[in-house]
Amino acid sequence: MVDELEALYRARLTEFRRVATAISGDRDLGADAVQEAFARAVRQRRRFRGEGTLEAWVWRIVVNAARDARRRTRPTPPSSTVLLREGQSDVGVPLERLTDRQREIVFLHYFADLGYDEIAAALSISPGTVGATLTAARRTLRDALEEVEA
Amino acid sequence: MNEMLDELVPRDERPGDWDDVLRRARRRRLRPRAVAAVVVAAGVLVATPAVAVLTRDTRPRLPDGADRSDVMAVVQPDTGRLLVEIAPWKGHDGFCYLVLQRRSGCVANTHTQATAVLSGAPLFAWSFGNRRIRSATATTRSGKHVPLLVTYVGGRIDAAIITARGRLPLLFGTIVLRDRSGHPIATIGR
Repeated sequence: MVDELEALYRARLTEFRRVATAISGDRDLGADAVQEAFARAVRQRRRFRGEGTLEAWVWRIVVNAARDARRRTRPTPPSSTVLLREGQSDVGVPLERLTDRQREIVFLHYFADLGYDEIAAALSISPGTVGATLTAARRTLRDALEEVEA
Repeated sequence: MNEMLDELVPRDERPGDWDDVLRRARRRRLRPRAVAAVVVAAGVLVATPAVAVLTRDTRPRLPDGADRSDVMAVVQPDTGRLLVEIAPWKGHDGFCYLVLQRRSGCVANTHTQATAVLSGAPLFAWSFGNRRIRSATATTRSGKHVPLLVTYVGGRIDAAIITARGRLPLLFGTIVLRDRSGHPIATIGR
């Protein structure tokens, strides 16, 4: 089981990190959440009963770890203010328009390449909710891009 | 959509560390009984303040570190709308801010004259000790050039404060800072 978790970690680390970064709102927090999530998966591996795929089970743990990381840093304390300095781009700006649920579904879909059923399993919601939330999130992001200044 | 999301959250190509995962997994965990004891003790300590927390005003305000005897305001010139409140940071070289009554924090003076932008809406940037900045323009992803408001705050703060005059698309491509004669001093973004 630990070998399978290690194989999953090595095969999908980039995707896990991107989703965790998107949810937590910070690259380092996201990377740390993935490490913590896999450690939790190793510790709790006997709880995996084979209902659904191992990957979906791990995704649920990663999402929860990233949520925890985001919760710990909200509201933004002065010491962890996210800054852009000269030469950097405005990473993450419109994501603030999304609800936590929308953010999670968008990135599980686009970065992790999970289908509606897999996302539903990872988040413990119905596939119908996944579809409806994804549609709303796309609309919000499009509006953010088209918003015009006064 | 994929392209936009790729820009928003770039790939993190740092190598993984499976050994770190195993180390974390082995880390000794507190026993449930010990955790319960700590929770009960903490509960007693926080019970009274918690009642106050439930009833307090949760809107962002200037941080506690702000020197409230020396608060300055940046207002929208045409409408008088309050954009930013700024005050020196007590005990530090820097300032505390409250932007549009939505975001607040404190920043330390880096003495580098580098300009920094707070990520996320509303747009708020600053540059310590850089008195050459006289104007700034944001270029949106759709190519529109939006003039920004530059306010120099002297005294203990000594920083140029840059804000949007009105609504600005959340995705701006670049911000160009210019001197008195219109020459670019710095560019933030791509």
